[in-house]
Formats: sequence, C-alpha cells, structure tokens
Amino acid sequence: MTMNDPQQQQMIRDAMKAIAERRPGRTKLVYDKTKKTIVAVAEGSEPPRALNITADDADMFGVITLSGQWLRQEWHRLNGSASIAARFTSWDNGDAYTHYELGPQGGPTISECTIALERASEPAPRLRIVLTKVNAVGRAGNTFVATDGSIFVATAYEHQDGRDIPLDVTIAEVQPALSARRAGILETSVLSDRSALFIGLGTGGGYATIELAKCGVRRFALVDPDRLSVGNVVRHPGGISQVGRLKVHVIRDLILEKNPDAQVDVYPFAIAAENMDAIRPLVRAANVVICGTDNRPSKLLINQLCIEENVVAVYGGAFRRAYGGQVLRVQPRVSPCQQCFVSAMPEQAADVEISSPDEAEAIAYSDRPVAVEPGLSLDVLPIANFLTKLALLELLDGKPTSLDVLRRDYSAPWYLWLNRPESGTPYSGMPPLSDSSDEMTINRWYGVGFERDTACPACGDFLNVTAAAHGIDLDSVVIPSKV
Amino acid sequence: MWTSTQRTRLALEHQLLQVHEFTQFSVYHHAAGDTYSASGYASSNAGYKYHLYIPIPAGFPTQRPEMYVTEPNPLLMTGGVQINSLGVSHRMHALTPHACGWVQICHWRDNRWHSGIYLHQVFLKGLIWIEAYEQHISTGRDLADFVRTMAETA
Ligand SMILES: [Zn+2]
Repeated sequence: MTMNDPQQQQMIRDAMKAIAERRPGRTKLVYDKTKKTIVAVAEGSEPPRALNITADDADMFGVITLSGQWLRQEWHRLNGSASIAARFTSWDNGDAYTHYELGPQGGPTISECTIALERASEPAPRLRIVLTKVNAVGRAGNTFVATDGSIFVATAYEHQDGRDIPLDVTIAEVQPALSARRAGILETSVLSDRSALFIGLGTGGGYATIELAKCGVRRFALVDPDRLSVGNVVRHPGGISQVGRLKVHVIRDLILEKNPDAQVDVYPFAIAAENMDAIRPLVRAANVVICGTDNRPSKLLINQLCIEENVVAVYGGAFRRAYGGQVLRVQPRVSPCQQCFVSAMPEQAADVEISSPDEAEAIAYSDRPVAVEPGLSLDVLPIANFLTKLALLELLDGKPTSLDVLRRDYSAPWYLWLNRPESGTPYSGMPPLSDSSDEMTINRWYGVGFERDTACPACGDFLNVTAAAHGIDLDSVVIPSKV
Repeated sequence: MWTSTQRTRLALEHQLLQVHEFTQFSVYHHAAGDTYSASGYASSNAGYKYHLYIPIPAGFPTQRPEMYVTEPNPLLMTGGVQINSLGVSHRMHALTPHACGWVQICHWRDNRWHSGIYLHQVFLKGLIWIEAYEQHISTGRDLADFVRTMAETA
C-alpha cells in the first residue's frame, strides 16, 4: 500500500468522513509507525505496530451545548426579536460551553451567547449560535424542531482575533436522553411517581440518593442536620468546593445534576424525639425510607414511625472501620423490625462504624474518648449499593419490570457483607476467597433469616404479652397522680 | 401528646415495679402539664437515703429516659468535689447533670437503649450506682472500679 494507491485514497476519504460525522465507518485510520504516516485499513484487520486514530483525535473544535427545552420555552421571544441572549458556563479555557440552564451547578466562568435566527449579526458577538431553517429533520444533534414544527439546524461560532472559529453544537434534550439509557431495565416513567425519604446523608446515604436519581426516581425528601466538612470529602459524594454547605443542599444539587426534573425537599434537622411530629408526615408520604444513620436512637425512632405509618424501611451501616457491613429491610409487622433485630442480634446491632467526632462523642465519656475510626469509602460503597438496590425494589413494588426476577434473591430480612477477615471478629478465620467453595468469605452477600418477635415492643403485641406473663390486668392499673 | 400505647406502657411499667417488689418506686402522672415521671427513695445497704427521679421523655420508650439523683444535692466525691462539676464522667459513671445540679446516672447509653428495657431495670442500675458511690466514698477509688461498665450491658 502506498499513498498513491487510489483504493487507499478512497478508504482514507471514507474514514475521514465517518470521523467527521462521528459515526462508525467500514474503514478506519491508523498511524503506521513504520511508514510514519496515516493509512486506512478495513475494519477488523490490524496492521502491526499501528496506532488507532479515532473520532477523539479529530475533535479539534470546542463544543457548545444548548438546552432544547429552554429554547422551546424562549422560542416566541426569539421569533419576535430575531436574537436572544443566553448564559453558558465556559469550561477548560473555552473547550466546552454548557448552557447554564441545563443543570443546577454551572461553573465559575460565565460567557454570554447570542442566539439568532439570521447569520449576520453586527458587531459580531464573541459567542453566537445561529439557527438556519431547513426542510427536513436530520440525524445530527444540532437539529431543532420549533414549537410550530419548523425545523432548524444550529451552527455556532466563537469570534476571536477578528475571525470566526466554529464550535460543534449540540441541542440537548435531557429527559429523553436519560430515559433512553435506562430503557429495557426501567421503563421511562416507572419511577416518576415514587417518593423516597432519606434519613442521613453520609457516605452511604449520599451515594444511595444519587444512584436512585440516576434510576429515574423523581421525588426526594432529604433529612440531615450536618454540614459538609473537609474531612468528609474523602468519603462523601460532595467535593471540596462545597465544604461548609448543609449536606441536604450538596446532595440536592447532585441529584439535580443527575435528574434535573427531580423534586427535592430538604429538611436540615436531626432525628430526635422532639422532631417526630415534623418527620411523621415525611414518612407517611414516602414509598420507602432509606436510613443511613449510624446511631441507634435515630434508627429506633425511624423504626417506630415507619411501623406506625406502615412504610417499608431499609437500614444500612458499616461495622467498625468498615471491615464489613449490614443491611436490614423492615416490612412493618411482616418482617423483623430494628427493635426485633436489637433483641435477636445485640452484638451485630451494636457494631457500628465511628466515622465522625459526633458519633464518637455519642458513645464516649468526655474523660474517656472513643477514637474516630472511619473505613474507606471503597468499603462503604458495597453496602450502600446493596441498600440502594433493596430500596429500588421497594420503589418498583407493584410495577412489572425486568428486575422482578430479583425478588426471590432479596427475600431475607438481614444481609451481611465482609470486606476483610478483621482480627478480633468472628470472621478472622475465614478461608481465602479463592479457596472457599461453600464457607463464608469476603466479598459476598449473605442473606440471614431470623424471626420477628411477636412480643416486640415496637412491632408486636408487647403490652398484652408482658402483662399476661406477670398476671397484670392492664385495664385496672391506675397510675398515681402527683403535683 | 401521649399515644394510648405510651400511656398503657407507663401503666404496665408502674405495675411491673410493684410486681418486681420495687415498691419504693412508682410511675406518677402530673395532671398540670400532662407529664409523667418515675421516682422514689432508695436506701443503700449502709442505710443512707437517695431520691431517684426519671422524667419520662416524649419519645418513651423508644427514647431513653434520664435518671437523676435529686437528693442529696449536691452529691460530693471524696475530697468534697461536687460530682456534677465533672460533667460527663466515666470515672463516676455520670452523664450531663440536670440544670438543677442533680447528678445524672449513666444507666444505658443512647447507643444501647431500646424499648425492650423496663423502668425497673433502670432503677436497678440506680441501686447499683448508689452502692458503688458509697464504696467510692469509703475507699476513695473511682466509682467505675465498682461497676461493670454499664454501657456494655444491654
Ligand atoms: Zn419488632
């Protein structure tokens, strides 16, 4: 093959065209190190010592992304005045311009852009998008169908040093694009009427919110009194530039980044007995409650409310230093509740990660501190992931999806996961993962069944059972009065 | 403000105190503010009297009740130091004192409390604390030396 070969020339032309149109071609370009030049090869044949050239290598222009939904809303204004202004975040020194209205968190550098129906515009603004009327909808991402059905193709230019430099335009249609990626597993609107209440937005709870937003859940209620600290950042989804903000606000914005149509209500207060009246309506309105707090009083209070309001709750937590973790799902008066769990497995219920000074303080005396011993985010995420999956199945309850086949696998009330054979735990002697066939090992979920306590003080008939056991007639008891 | 389940639970608690022969203690209803407390005089083996007082919190029994020694007040350590001046103290098994200066006995920590624990068990821990306190007075050793860490028993 030489560069004079007409067949090779045609192949190069085809490949260039395919790259420019960002579609797969029958031939591709490679850099042949021996010949020190670009050659075209048929798809599937791989010349030795060659480097592939992809569409990314042809990505020489900046990119500008405009919200299609916004453009439809503003269409009458554009039609009336021939041009309108829009704000874009300028990223990476002008490599990308993203419409400020597209999401909740624009970047720090804002560029004004003129959107016009005519190409000519004097004096030329620094950034402009021009919409040209065409006859048919093309396949490219820069086609726009106006509210009156007329069709436009967008081109964009950045005016620099007296010249127009073209930009690749994309008109983004957010919801269709997001739904398309979930189609087949979760149908478009299957989760749009479902509502999740999150108690605690630490590493696990924060992760769960964002994952459910990606799944298409639209209604979120977030409860957490804490602010994001510098120390949180190594584990929390929130980043260093958000430090000091309430976690409910940090997570709300991250949810909106993943699902701009989500409705997120924030409640920056603690789970405490005095707040139960405020939290009860949130529980009542939820299809599932996701509890990621690591202190027992808050879990038991939420447990009480969820039983009284008959709402399924899932609780997730890491063991100390996240050597493992656990997930409990409570179906009120059907499966064991938190109180049943505390009675049945007190050691497991008390094994919690001490991931913040507040949590350490809650279980320490001031003259005998407890060390803060958080685990790695990496070791918390498997637990958060499982918690989210259980919550998703609850949210999908009654709606047929291809995830229904999972229900038989998620039938246990309690699930155990181990990240490592931590010394000083019952799991220190586990065989290596590679050796075990049926013994317990790291990196596997174990579903554990245990019985609901029918005399449970939270979900059972505690009062009558206890009274009967002591021969007490509850109706005849009179509590003495005292001033 | 109280649910019928809570009121019935408090009636049960009152009766269990009698059944378990903790008859020096009682649950009380305070009509003025429709509040409840549990209290009574405890006698140590050495014959001293202490008044134990448990205001019932709004979230009871899910929420942990606090237990105070209201008499004698102030309660002194060997050397004359007031226990309440220590604040939260593992040495003396005490939690944050009441605004009135009453020493708060650590019975169950928040992270060990659950609604399956009865008030008579809480009073029992109060009696153990009083005996340990008197051992502290006669030996000068920390109260914690005489009680197993109550936080660990649930
Ligand atoms: Zn229960």
